[in-house]
Amino acid sequence: MAPAFLGGTSLSAAKGVASWPHAHYFVPGVPPSSGGGAILARVFRVYQKKRGHRLTGSRTVGSAGEAVLSAAFIVMGCVGFTLLLKLLVIPEWRVNHEFVPQRCTVRDTYVGASKNSGGTLYRPEIEISYRVDDTTYTVRTYDIHFGTGKEYSSSLDDVQAILARYVKGREYPCWYAPTDPKAVVLVRGYSWWIWLTFIVPLSFVIIGGRGLAFRLLHLGTSAERRSALTRQAGRLDLFDNGNGAHRKYPSIPDCSGITDSPGTVLAYRLPIHSSPAWFLFWLGASCALWNAVVWVFAAIAITDYQEGHPDWKLTISMVPFVLAGIGLIAYWIRQILLANGIGPTLAEVSHHPLMPGERYDLFISQAGRLRLKSLAVLLVSEEQATYRQGTNTRSETRRVYQRELFRRDNFEIPRGTPLEVRCPLEIPARAMHSFKAEHNEVGWKIVVEGTSLGWPHYERAFPLIVHPCNGDAPA
Amino acid sequence: MNDDAIHIRFDGNGRIYHPGETLSGEYWLEPIDTNEVRAMEISILWHTEGKGDEDISVHEFQRVAVEEQTGEPSACRGRFSTVLPNSPLSYEGQLIKVRWCVRLRVFLRGREIVGQHRFRLGNVPPARIPKP
Amino acid sequence: MTDPDPLLSVDNPFSTRCVKPGAIAYLFPPGEDPAALVERLRRNAWWGQLVGPHGSGKSTLLATLLPMLELAGRRPLCFALHDGQRRLPADPARSSTVDAATIVIVDGYEQLSRWNRWRLKRLCRRRGWGLIVSSHGDAGLPHLMHTTVEIERAAAIVGRLLGAEQGLIGGDEIAQCLARHRGDMREMLMELYDLYEERRRGVMS
Repeated sequence: MAPAFLGGTSLSAAKGVASWPHAHYFVPGVPPSSGGGAILARVFRVYQKKRGHRLTGSRTVGSAGEAVLSAAFIVMGCVGFTLLLKLLVIPEWRVNHEFVPQRCTVRDTYVGASKNSGGTLYRPEIEISYRVDDTTYTVRTYDIHFGTGKEYSSSLDDVQAILARYVKGREYPCWYAPTDPKAVVLVRGYSWWIWLTFIVPLSFVIIGGRGLAFRLLHLGTSAERRSALTRQAGRLDLFDNGNGAHRKYPSIPDCSGITDSPGTVLAYRLPIHSSPAWFLFWLGASCALWNAVVWVFAAIAITDYQEGHPDWKLTISMVPFVLAGIGLIAYWIRQILLANGIGPTLAEVSHHPLMPGERYDLFISQAGRLRLKSLAVLLVSEEQATYRQGTNTRSETRRVYQRELFRRDNFEIPRGTPLEVRCPLEIPARAMHSFKAEHNEVGWKIVVEGTSLGWPHYERAFPLIVHPCNGDAPA
Repeated sequence: MNDDAIHIRFDGNGRIYHPGETLSGEYWLEPIDTNEVRAMEISILWHTEGKGDEDISVHEFQRVAVEEQTGEPSACRGRFSTVLPNSPLSYEGQLIKVRWCVRLRVFLRGREIVGQHRFRLGNVPPARIPKP
Repeated sequence: MTDPDPLLSVDNPFSTRCVKPGAIAYLFPPGEDPAALVERLRRNAWWGQLVGPHGSGKSTLLATLLPMLELAGRRPLCFALHDGQRRLPADPARSSTVDAATIVIVDGYEQLSRWNRWRLKRLCRRRGWGLIVSSHGDAGLPHLMHTTVEIERAAAIVGRLLGAEQGLIGGDEIAQCLARHRGDMREMLMELYDLYEERRRGVMS
């Protein structure tokens, strides 16, 4: 019997010692791409950790456990569905289809009140008298939910508006249950809000049904079969906008983020790999928070000093925090100056996605008030691999292709007059296309790197998507 | 990884294939007690190798349940055929390699054996570290 | 089933698939063997700790021990902690597979907070379960083994991985690589991956 793994890493048995199935690992919520196991709590995870909890259990027992949990969800959903049907829908249906019409006389109207921890709730109470066969009934009623607790409302105005429709002494239609004439209503129809309550049990059934179906399909399956099932599920995308590029080129990143962004000079504007805007925002927020807290205590220390009873312990202990706050402000200001001083870099291409062996146009614009020692535009391809290193997860990047498309040395970019460059862009024939999987990636990008006087060296990257060419391109 | 009892042979030259081409071939088990075979799964898949953790994706999958007690050698043979996708192409990178293969997993009584036969999709040359 | 394409038939023996814990058997130093470790565990009521620096083979040793523990009639329940995980990702008490023969195995035990370590020990003590941990320092459990990497064993492991290509990387290079990484076998194997790639491409071209 294989050992059970919970949060396990690849502690598979050594070769030649015993023929254990390999231990496998997961990111919670993501079907395993390699190997398999049973995760009991997977469906409850709200977040994914890239490093992941590896949660594997005895496959059969764990799978059975998950199936039981999914079945429990389905049962709870069905029970809830049935109860709502019985308590809400069916009574209204009976009123509309089975109750017998009659005439009644309104004797009086009241506002019923019920106090609870949330406040006071109100309901309309209309006292009526009516005759069924030889018996006269006098009851307080309104609709079919009267007396169940569901007739209360928090709005007194709404209840009074209902009561205003009924005049004492006047006759109105009513409907009574044939089997129990005391059960009578003044209104029929269906309440719209009832249908919203079905969302809850329905969601339980869907969650449980999905989990059970997943478990049953994956029970005792091999790694290849699970991967095939995952691919089939991926094809059933209900929200597919009809853009089949992703299916035509599996494992190639979607390029809609680029093709949806038109350029001003060429067809497409390339997004920058990482904009400094969010970094500056969060840095500024952290700076503000730190300094706000520090200066509150600093203000206390200063006030104590002014009042003649200085707290030297507080004063001395505040010094490093104040210095750190000032340092943080200085760093933030420097980053703003850097971002503004160097100016935005724009990149546009004439076509997208790109193909190996084909020639395109590239447009680069570099703004700012800069005196540059050099500015270079490079076409770069990099591999990125993610792997576990003991208790850590590491990523390694390796540049496998680099070609300089443009270079200029020792020049100035005046403020308001950005440098604009147009140059050919060619992906090498037979180059590897863009590739993205969970742990491995091959990417292409345009890199603009500049060394300027007075500013640190900077580098800005603009990702590209390269599709495979069909068949052999000429070497 | 390759069990000696599993044999996979490609039709044609079995060397380099291109997107949109049909990959076909046959597989058989020998020597093996065919009474032990419960099921076979033939997959055409790609997986990564290298420094990163392994990624795997199945392009085509077929499971064949073998009837019990047939004892028929023909029950443990089969053919496969698929139209190859546009991507990912086979790749020999520095950190990452993308490898395509046909993999046969045979479920025997109480154990399973696996064999695979690699092929190349596309003709991407190996990556080289650029000169500084 | 021979493959005519050289690119297809060569695998880097230092790729993740080949060197991850469990892919290669732990090479015991002279005087130690798995049976002795299991016996030591049995005498300590299946409690023990594996202590050693980064990349010294603790996870690999645990993987090697697992089948031996099963053969000894125990039921291992494994956790591997990463990246500052301060608590176990699942409650072992709620696992559907536990019984009196359970041994809880925690790889990366020092990641747990002091409170969670206390809770785990108490749980295992109350249930009569075994507990084996791997850690970079003393975890307060009975000593099982201290893992280290000596050049001779590192060279033997690299030789095993290279197989028929042992001549591709020399013993001196292995020793220098191990020294550069201060005895961290894992880092050494990562560097050898790159070296093998470079040499293989040189041979092929």
